Amino acid sequence: MAFDLADRGAIAGVGYTEFSKNSGVSTLTLALRAIMAALDDAGLPPNRLDGIATHRVGDSIPSAVVAQAVGIRDLSYFVDQFGGGGSSHAVVGQAALAVASGVADYVVCYRAINARSEFRMGGTARPAVDSVETQYQAPYGYVAPPQQYAMVAQAYMHRYGITPRHLAAVAMTQRRHAEKNARALMRAPMSYDDYLASRMVADPFRLLDCCLETDGAVAILVCSPERARDLRQPPVLVRAAAWGGGQTLFSNRQPPPGTSSAAVMVPRLYKKAGLGPADVDVAMIYDCFTAAVLIQLEDYGFCAKGEGGDFVLSGATALGGSLPVNTHGGFLSEGYVHGWNHIAEAVQQLRGAAGDRQVPGAKIALSTGAPGYVGGVTSALLLRGT
Amino acid sequence: MKEKPLPVPDRDSAPFWEGVRAGELRLQRCNGCGSYRWPARAICNHCHSFDTDWLAVSARGTVTSWVRTHQAFMRAFQDEIPYAVIQVQLDEQDDIQMIGRLADPGLEPTIGMRVRADFAPADGDPPLVVWHPIEQL
Ligand SMILES: [Zn+2]
Repeated sequence: MAFDLADRGAIAGVGYTEFSKNSGVSTLTLALRAIMAALDDAGLPPNRLDGIATHRVGDSIPSAVVAQAVGIRDLSYFVDQFGGGGSSHAVVGQAALAVASGVADYVVCYRAINARSEFRMGGTARPAVDSVETQYQAPYGYVAPPQQYAMVAQAYMHRYGITPRHLAAVAMTQRRHAEKNARALMRAPMSYDDYLASRMVADPFRLLDCCLETDGAVAILVCSPERARDLRQPPVLVRAAAWGGGQTLFSNRQPPPGTSSAAVMVPRLYKKAGLGPADVDVAMIYDCFTAAVLIQLEDYGFCAKGEGGDFVLSGATALGGSLPVNTHGGFLSEGYVHGWNHIAEAVQQLRGAAGDRQVPGAKIALSTGAPGYVGGVTSALLLRGT
Repeated sequence: MKEKPLPVPDRDSAPFWEGVRAGELRLQRCNGCGSYRWPARAICNHCHSFDTDWLAVSARGTVTSWVRTHQAFMRAFQDEIPYAVIQVQLDEQDDIQMIGRLADPGLEPTIGMRVRADFAPADGDPPLVVWHPIEQL
């Protein structure tokens, strides 16, 4: 009989560092601060931890070093995955598998980056990615995520009649959410004129289409629901986790223009959860760039292909709408911890702890990793409040 | 001034760059099922055959997307900003998309533009692939 993961892993703690442009500390320190905050949130003594997991792209401290620093003496589970935002939610999904199967009791998952002050994505200081494609692209000056996502966005917008007004609606909606979030780096109101006036980065993206390069860390504590019930916070259950994709934009067999690798994975995610898009109360959609939100709203089944722009313009994704999206302000306005502050916000919403930005009665949350452009792989979680 | 990154052929891609040096666009075609593949690698992702030949293709295609870069992500390209990079779908097979540049940096790319490959000397060896619009009759 197939192993059913549904509701057999729980998120019992969430920890953040401050988000900033210059943390002034090492990624090891960031990781430790977030981890201790997550343990404190859960009320779990550090000596109970027996698992640790992260993902990196050569930009952060290895999990084994963090495990030593935390003082884990008998580590029963570790993951040090190579990968960017597409891997983020897979790390938590794997931890759920580990605790559900008895491999480990308490796994702390984290991502710690000085993405502004040390390692800027696409910057020249960054080591070469493990990609067979780089040699065919870098000589033309095509190296950075904004360019790669812009290439996707240009074709998507052309095909479906998406306009800057649609992209701006994503950025402006999320900024309004960030106004209610003390943790957010960008809280000043944003008008459409502000959006249009922001400098071009890579057509069709302006600066305000791009996520914030951020120093910070987030940690997520995963254990069984039984163990979580003995801790301080109401458990948030991992209803379903999925990871997949596999084709990049330039590999033959890639998805059609305007569709992400997530589209292949999504039916599996919902099937495992026994849920559909209509059951989702609040969604954290990977918003490295505005257009990625539109494409995923379609690929995750919230609207038809090509209608993501009108869906956002209608107000559906705003607080008070039918599907509030990125209620913390997202990577565009809260900060960018490579997928992890999305998971943390989903947990806050399901605990009913999101304060002024709480979605009333939220029971089911979707949180998504990078949709599979660039690296080809993606991952997502469907979470359930208790 | 930082040097531009040059293509670094690997053991899988060396025949592609040899083709570029010889003024041809060469791709792997699978001897199992006849499909072209990209980027270069040992196995066919349709039929899983390792049996492959490198063939010169038409070097014609259609621009399926483009991006104009306004920020110097690499210092070596600072002087070219803003510059356009195009994505070209080859005529041979619609799931093969190559990244490149138009030969004329002053030309505005458009989606649907028909293009043909040319081989421009880069600052080093091998040369790069650049694309010219094909005049429409
Ligand atoms: Zn084949």
